[in-house]
Amino acid sequence: MTTAPTHVSPAPAARAASAEVTAIDTTARGPLLFLLGSGIVWLVVSGVLALITSIQLHSPHFLEDCSCLTFGRAQALAQTAFVYGWLGNAGAAIALWLLGRLGGAPLRALNWVLVGALFWNAGVTAGLVGIGVGDMTSFSLLQLPRYVQPLLLFAWAAMAIAGVLAWSGRHRDHTFASQWYAVGALFLFPWLLSAAQVVLIWAPVRGTLQAVAANWFAQSLWSLWLAPIALAAAYYLVPKVSGRVLPSYRLFAALGFWTLIVIGPWTAGRHLIGGPVPAWIATIAVAASVALLFHYLVLVLNLRVAVGAGGTAGKFVTFGLGAYVLGGVLDALTSFRGVAVETQFTVIDPALEQLALYGAISMLFFGAIYFMVPRLTGRAWTSSGLTLGHRFLVKIGLVILLVSLGVGGWTQGVDLLNAKTGFADILGHLNLCLLAASAAQLVLLAGNLLLAVNFFQSICVWSAAPAPAENYLEAAAVEARVS
Amino acid sequence: MRNGPLFLLGLFAALTLSWAGIVLGSNAQLGSLAPYYDDAEGQSFPLRAPGIANRGQLVYADLGCAACHTQQVRRPDFGSDQARGWGDRQSVARDYIFQSRPQLGASRFGPDLTNLAGRKPSAPDADDLMNLLYAGSERHPAYKFLFTERAIAGEPASIALKLTGNAAPDAGREVIPTERAQSLVAYLLSLNNGYDYPEARPIVNPEAEKKPAPAAAPATEKKENAPAATPAPAAQKAEGKK
Repeated sequence: MTTAPTHVSPAPAARAASAEVTAIDTTARGPLLFLLGSGIVWLVVSGVLALITSIQLHSPHFLEDCSCLTFGRAQALAQTAFVYGWLGNAGAAIALWLLGRLGGAPLRALNWVLVGALFWNAGVTAGLVGIGVGDMTSFSLLQLPRYVQPLLLFAWAAMAIAGVLAWSGRHRDHTFASQWYAVGALFLFPWLLSAAQVVLIWAPVRGTLQAVAANWFAQSLWSLWLAPIALAAAYYLVPKVSGRVLPSYRLFAALGFWTLIVIGPWTAGRHLIGGPVPAWIATIAVAASVALLFHYLVLVLNLRVAVGAGGTAGKFVTFGLGAYVLGGVLDALTSFRGVAVETQFTVIDPALEQLALYGAISMLFFGAIYFMVPRLTGRAWTSSGLTLGHRFLVKIGLVILLVSLGVGGWTQGVDLLNAKTGFADILGHLNLCLLAASAAQLVLLAGNLLLAVNFFQSICVWSAAPAPAENYLEAAAVEARVS
Repeated sequence: MRNGPLFLLGLFAALTLSWAGIVLGSNAQLGSLAPYYDDAEGQSFPLRAPGIANRGQLVYADLGCAACHTQQVRRPDFGSDQARGWGDRQSVARDYIFQSRPQLGASRFGPDLTNLAGRKPSAPDADDLMNLLYAGSERHPAYKFLFTERAIAGEPASIALKLTGNAAPDAGREVIPTERAQSLVAYLLSLNNGYDYPEARPIVNPEAEKKPAPAAAPATEKKENAPAATPAPAAQKAEGKK
């Protein structure tokens, strides 16, 4: 068992203390900056694709002659670019960086990270081309063509080697919650992906059991891969940006972790309520969704000191944690049959997905990136204006998106329940909300472009005059706050 | 969590447990679901779809049709699926056992297609579907890339689309569906859930059921294999779901 951080540097993140740049950061910065940079490029690409799908919803004839951008394919492209391109790349960088820092020694096996990162991005690129030409699978969050999936599996495993080595070779006996979450995500993703591939691609189960397995994968991808990386960042950043010790850490943090890992995947069946699958799958999912509320409660207890934290990283982290907890509560609420009958098959589902993937995970990743990059390069972000603009635009865009999809989804749900309302009318009632959602996607895209410009400018400035490396023993001293 | 290997083992156990429980558990229950043999009809259901329809399902999947259309009819007290005429009964797992890639879908921007070819009173025919795919509608995109336009050589082809109005090609030319369009339409026309399995009959509220014949309910075991064309007497097969 571990103890909470006991000493916290008061330095605000924005000042990006070059004093805190250590050999732990500098040795790893090549591969990590490559991962972050590719993640940000994919974020912009997926933003363009998401805008296209959003427009197609209210103007179905938009780009209809382009066979690679039918609504179904464009949606799969946007989701794949977002999850595997942006979240996968950035998540790998964040998890590895945290494990290096908390392990107290420079990362080893960095060549593996670089090779893994190159193949990961090659895999995502090939996957998008494959989806465009019609090779996608029909499983949500796993639309990557079958020939790309093994590549991603091995690419991730190559990157994860460095993380597992940093964990097993750590210089401290005690471990911190960030490390559990980060190691969990790095270690579990290859198992998760291969288990899903076996039952969905190589030896597919029969009939509707494919839907069960696909839902299990999609839920586990969230509970065992994306959420843990984001929470690793949150547990690391909150004490730093708030300058406070995490309350109730010793008592609850480990329980919160295991609740997510053990119970999270069981919530998979909540999307299958009323479907042609065994009824117990949905019933267990309802029970698990409610039990999982304990995990969210632990996060509130541990990380509540983030509220009011200053600095760009602090504000992103606070927003992300709020969205994460809100998403968990809404997931539990919409899993009940009485609510699901209203929300099933409506745009409430994409709204909740955006709340989770964008509001929670991406915002926490943004916070981590704003904190990490100056420490990797030894230089502050080039433009505080762009930083501010990015933060403002993504928050506004996301709020508009969620409100419009939420309101639209509810009207759609009410209309769908009324058998006398035809589909032309249902979509007519939805039109305004879908227009607002497209505007929101445009705002999000603009915001992320600012991030891309800021990031690549900062990299250019740094590569023109890199900061000197320092002794990694000092790094251990820096991280001694987690004692 | 000082013990690294034990920690990793715990992670692995959590993953395996959920995979075994959800995926293998449901597979143990439904993985060997067999077709249902109907004595009266002398054949078993579901019927196997023709090969061209199976190819069409792959077209349906690769175009991403499931992003807007579901293929699952829910029970009468859960949503308005049956009231909308999408099917006379709820979809059950047995409906999908011969489908290589079931397309349940998770979103309804368009109608459910489970029973498209069996809809009453009027199911769409091949011409309707071809025209919708070629010309689209106000709320449906046109997939012109599934068709080729060419000059009529001699007689117009029998498979040429019968188009009118703006969508019609110039005089002397015709629009021919590609093989992909033909298999997609064959698939859509194979979607028919007309056969009523015992497990698909609605669970009737026991109190409402008591009124007609209080003593009749328990002794109807053999009716399980009866032809299902008549509406189920509701009492049997009340097991399973709530």
